Amino acid sequence: MAESHYLDHGEQRVVIVMTSGPSTPHRCATPFYIGALLASMDADVRIFLTMEGVLLAQKGVPENLTAMKGGKKIIEFMREAKAAGVRLHLCKPAMPGYELEVEEVIDEVDEISPAGALADLILGCDKTMFF
Amino acid sequence: MECNGCEFRPELYYDGEYQIWVRVENDGTVSVGMTDLSQTIAGRILHVRVRRPGTLRPAGKPVATIESGKWAGPVPNPFDCTIEAANPEVLDDPALLNRAPFDAWIARVRPAGDLEKALEGLVTGEAARTGYCARARREDIRCERPSS
Repeated sequence: MAESHYLDHGEQRVVIVMTSGPSTPHRCATPFYIGALLASMDADVRIFLTMEGVLLAQKGVPENLTAMKGGKKIIEFMREAKAAGVRLHLCKPAMPGYELEVEEVIDEVDEISPAGALADLILGCDKTMFF
Repeated sequence: MECNGCEFRPELYYDGEYQIWVRVENDGTVSVGMTDLSQTIAGRILHVRVRRPGTLRPAGKPVATIESGKWAGPVPNPFDCTIEAANPEVLDDPALLNRAPFDAWIARVRPAGDLEKALEGLVTGEAARTGYCARARREDIRCERPSS
């Protein structure tokens, strides 16, 4: 059996900064997929939706968006990531620029966070990824 | 025995979400595998990675990770245990989990404490069948097996 078949990772914190949104749907599934995988490998994973990524937190958007034609809805990728343990943050200061109101935010979002929270997460984490 | 085309085995133990099945072996270890519901949701499974044998796993921490083209996630662990072995056949041919989910165990673990206590949080028999079928119907999961 190959060594790569075994998992040895200790607990680490990973922050995934998601700036892509509905204008680039092909970029919108992978961050949640990789987030689910990392969480399954014991990582404490936070996905921070900012810039156009905040639109993925708007009711009606991820439910109707796919990364590829005929593919799975983005909301399903988000729910699977959460089921694996990922926490979703929504960037509060980015919301006005996309005319996103609190009452329009999907239930899957765990926290509406200030930019300082993202700064804290990045400074305190082991790995960061940007999409 | 099946629901919505999903195979079910009443002699096994299941977690509350029917993601995994658990079978007690003669040597006191416990085999863990994916249900037909889980393999259907995952789709064709491409990679399986298991925690290294000898590793202690607390309840709730995955014993393995699964990757398909459209799904990635954990194989959850329902009780404190130590990983004893990974199934080499599954590691070499992950699609076995699609073809024969109830025969292809993923990991063999040894409960940290009393076996009976470890099984207390799981469901089996008629209660499991009822819950398994309820989830299949509620989420309209219709199980499929790949031909190869």
